[in-house]
Amino acid sequence: MSLRTLLARWYGVAIVGMRRTLARTTHTARQRVRFSVLGVAVAITLLLVVTGIGMGLTGGTTVQDDGIDYWIVPESGGSSSPLVSTDAPQFGSVHETAETVRATEGVDSASPVLSQVLRVTAGDSAEYVLVVGIVNDGGVDQISGVNVTALSHHDHYYNDGEWTGEVALSRSAGATLNVSEGDQLTIAGNTSFAVTSVDGDATTTVGDVPTAVVQLSELQTLTGASAHDSADQFVVGTNDPAVREDLEDVYPSSTVNSRSEMTASQTMDSDLSVALALTAFVVAISIGTLFVVTTMGLELVADRTQLATMSAIGLSGRSQLGIIAVQILATTAIGGIVGAVGGLAGIRLTNEIAMRTLTSEPIAFSHSVFGLYGVVVAVLIGVCSLPVLLLVTRRVTGGVPQ
Amino acid sequence: MAARSGSRTDDSLTPLARAEGVTRRYRRGSEPGRVGRLFGRSTPPDVTALEDVSLTITQKEIVGLAGPSGSGKSTLLHLLAGLELPSEGTVTFQGTDLGSLSTRKRTRLRLEHVGIVFQHFHLLDSLSARGNVALPLVELGVSKSERRHRATELLERVGLEDRVTHRPGELSGGEQQRVAIARALVTDPTLVIADEPTGELDTETGLTVLEQFERVADDRAVVLASHDQPTLDIADRVVRLCDGRIDEEATVRL
Repeated sequence: MSLRTLLARWYGVAIVGMRRTLARTTHTARQRVRFSVLGVAVAITLLLVVTGIGMGLTGGTTVQDDGIDYWIVPESGGSSSPLVSTDAPQFGSVHETAETVRATEGVDSASPVLSQVLRVTAGDSAEYVLVVGIVNDGGVDQISGVNVTALSHHDHYYNDGEWTGEVALSRSAGATLNVSEGDQLTIAGNTSFAVTSVDGDATTTVGDVPTAVVQLSELQTLTGASAHDSADQFVVGTNDPAVREDLEDVYPSSTVNSRSEMTASQTMDSDLSVALALTAFVVAISIGTLFVVTTMGLELVADRTQLATMSAIGLSGRSQLGIIAVQILATTAIGGIVGAVGGLAGIRLTNEIAMRTLTSEPIAFSHSVFGLYGVVVAVLIGVCSLPVLLLVTRRVTGGVPQ
Repeated sequence: MAARSGSRTDDSLTPLARAEGVTRRYRRGSEPGRVGRLFGRSTPPDVTALEDVSLTITQKEIVGLAGPSGSGKSTLLHLLAGLELPSEGTVTFQGTDLGSLSTRKRTRLRLEHVGIVFQHFHLLDSLSARGNVALPLVELGVSKSERRHRATELLERVGLEDRVTHRPGELSGGEQQRVAIARALVTDPTLVIADEPTGELDTETGLTVLEQFERVADDRAVVLASHDQPTLDIADRVVRLCDGRIDEEATVRL
């Protein structure tokens, strides 16, 4: 058989498989095929919702906003000098370094960031809040979804100026502590803070993490980080991608991440998020495969007369297996598309329910790539189901059509 | 309905298919397994569908198989088509013993040389009429445009030019059988097997289908089984079966 004939044959097999799938889904075997599609769709929907919530848990503490393009973070294995060894590696002498970074050509804004979860008291309310210290240079309007325009610029307290006691709160922090602009707060026992604003775009963050943003040096004073002038990371705003090379030279044991790299890196660094995503993946593959094997297996047994007919009119076992394989993969892919739509809708619904009942911000992360992820996993479910279903096909085909 | 003009029954013609001393037995029920034997389950009895039947089909002749239900007509057709193998005896096609071929080779032989028309049509309900007719050509690696062309041409020959995109569920019984006939002929087989081709059709539709069947069968060898005398009338000779044996006295040469 020539290559051309072989290609024509397998192309024909694929077309027959696709036509059979579409016709059976919409006309001739709707009930059975739709059941298989539904099984895969449910598995994919659950996968995406759980993965979205897992990523939402990671993203909750991410310092991430539209004005930030690069993050300079310490290498976790770094042992050389500028890194201060605490629970996690930190940068030292960050105020000086921030000035250097800002002076770099192409950099619009730069700030060291120190994050700590601290007890914040307002009147009778006391809550643990994510307190973020920054040096406001006016280049970024929001940090972690908190509007910081009301914070004074350049961290005067570090430059031997007066203690400002300014704190900008996220809406969730304002709601949790029941405070508004002008109210007094106590952060980690220090009573000298006043709320400058309660504002921010909740849609830029996920995870209901009440957040307070203060001047970096004042947070360093509260947490003892002022000894080495330390911070967790730098955030940099720029329109010039060439800046990246300069940023890589700021600290020897550091990594410069772009927006997408930061999201991926933080997701991978978060054990809980990875564990949730992996668990959801394994469960979706297992449940999806078992479901498809069961429903499509029954479908094949019910279809044995048609398989026998194919044998009788001369279709080889290989071609029949090819047709069935295409049918299975197409069915699971359709399930994947339905599941992806369902998953994205499920994430939206989860956020909606959470925001109406428990939180003031979304708890699950959503991205259009999830759709592709859902379809790929669904096809993987099809691939995992293939061996058993092809074995069933071999067992039921042949003989005389009854 | 008369037999095709210029009967081609001629002993000098090369035998196309031959059944020699063929017996076919079926087991009624399944064999007992180890546990079944342990509990004393006996082997189920055999049923003999055909016994010591010999028949030769020469090229270009139409052979009718007549006989009551259960006489073995369908079994003999299945054996000639290589869908089943005999319990005893041999079935040869163009000199090749079908019993010596693997399942794959027998399937290939059917694809290239045998067209089958079933009583219940057995069309694939998820494909259009053209898709059903073109299906065997997929296996042969025929290009898509050629498949469409040949399938459409055959559907036109059986009077279904306005039904090419309809699915079997959207066709009447007569139309479905004509699609099945077109499918049986699309690979240009040397032997056409037809099992009760008009069995599911009313008399008038059956006659129409037969006319078209005879017309499109051209000079191929045809073996058809039927209860129906008008159907058997198109045969060059009729072989009558009774209780799994050929009733020699009733074999008629037309």
